[in-house]
Amino acid sequence: MKTITYNDIEFTIVKSGKGWEIARKLTDGTLAQVGAGLFEGVADGEAEARAVALVKTVFPVGIKSVGPDVTHPNMVGDLKIVGPDVAHPNFIYWSKDSTSFAR
Amino acid sequence: MEIKGSVALVTGGGNGIGEAVAKFFARNGAKVAVVDMVQKNIDRVVSEIKEAGGEVIGVQANVTSEADTARYIKATLEAFGQLNIAVACAGIIRDGTMLTLDKETGKVSRKMGLDKWQPVIDVNLTGTFLTLRDAAEAMVNGGWEGLLVPISSVNKVGQIGQLNYSSTKVADALMPKIIIGEFLMRGIRNIRCVGIAPGYTATPMLTGMNQEALRSILEDVHIGRLVEPDEIAAMIGHCVVNGALNATTIEITGGLCNSKGIAK
Repeated sequence: MKTITYNDIEFTIVKSGKGWEIARKLTDGTLAQVGAGLFEGVADGEAEARAVALVKTVFPVGIKSVGPDVTHPNMVGDLKIVGPDVAHPNFIYWSKDSTSFAR
Repeated sequence: MEIKGSVALVTGGGNGIGEAVAKFFARNGAKVAVVDMVQKNIDRVVSEIKEAGGEVIGVQANVTSEADTARYIKATLEAFGQLNIAVACAGIIRDGTMLTLDKETGKVSRKMGLDKWQPVIDVNLTGTFLTLRDAAEAMVNGGWEGLLVPISSVNKVGQIGQLNYSSTKVADALMPKIIIGEFLMRGIRNIRCVGIAPGYTATPMLTGMNQEALRSILEDVHIGRLVEPDEIAAMIGHCVVNGALNATTIEITGGLCNSKGIAK
């Protein structure tokens, strides 16, 4: 079993049966499954390396910039009023959070 | 194409139809990538598939983001080495009429805002486009046999109160014709595309609704009940194994009719 800490999350990578399992520790100490039945037939060292790479893909570290969404302005005369970028996961709060949204 | 041994990616795989599709593929021997916005739902579905002996990964992502789409395609390839089936189940509703009138004055009192319009377009149409586009890219570059599945809806015919939703679902229904036409033109022969247009389906959204309204809906369904998510999943499974199904969108509604008994 290999344990790594990445993106402030503790992951365990363990061989189980023919494949490998990846789990992450939740804040309450319980484990949540990231993947199971992975890398069957792959050598142990390579499987662990691939598991680490997969963890870094699934739980990326980084910053997402939010808005403004200049492609969908609300027009008031010639004035363009732009809200947050709806491509961001918080788009569902647009009408609630945006002070510029026309109500 | 066989389901067993293939790799399936399901967006919106954390609940409803997407969850049923992910579990169906896992039960039948496919390796499955479960993509959803809600990490808690992903954790539950991945855990249940694992307990049933399935091969699975879960990826939290927003289907409207190009970066996230690239990430869950990459994760699928890193985990399983190929991609064969992409089912774009992620979808949302924000119902409302385009105009609302003041009862006393008869003048317009409210318009459907972009807060209701844009997210539905982004998730149901742009999200489906991005998933199918990037999945197809992987399939072409990998040389794997593939199936793309946009999820439309029986409401593609036009549902009052769903100008946003119906507009996306009629577009999703059209995708197989255009995509396969383009594939033919480009000489891409290893990928098929079949859309699925479910009728009223027993997802948490519908089963939790006002029971009187639900009974009213069921009066128009010939089989007298909601379509089960597993029945949608089985239809998608059939699309995988039946190589003649291509460039079309299939309705599975239980016989949804309008109030005069004419099939919708």
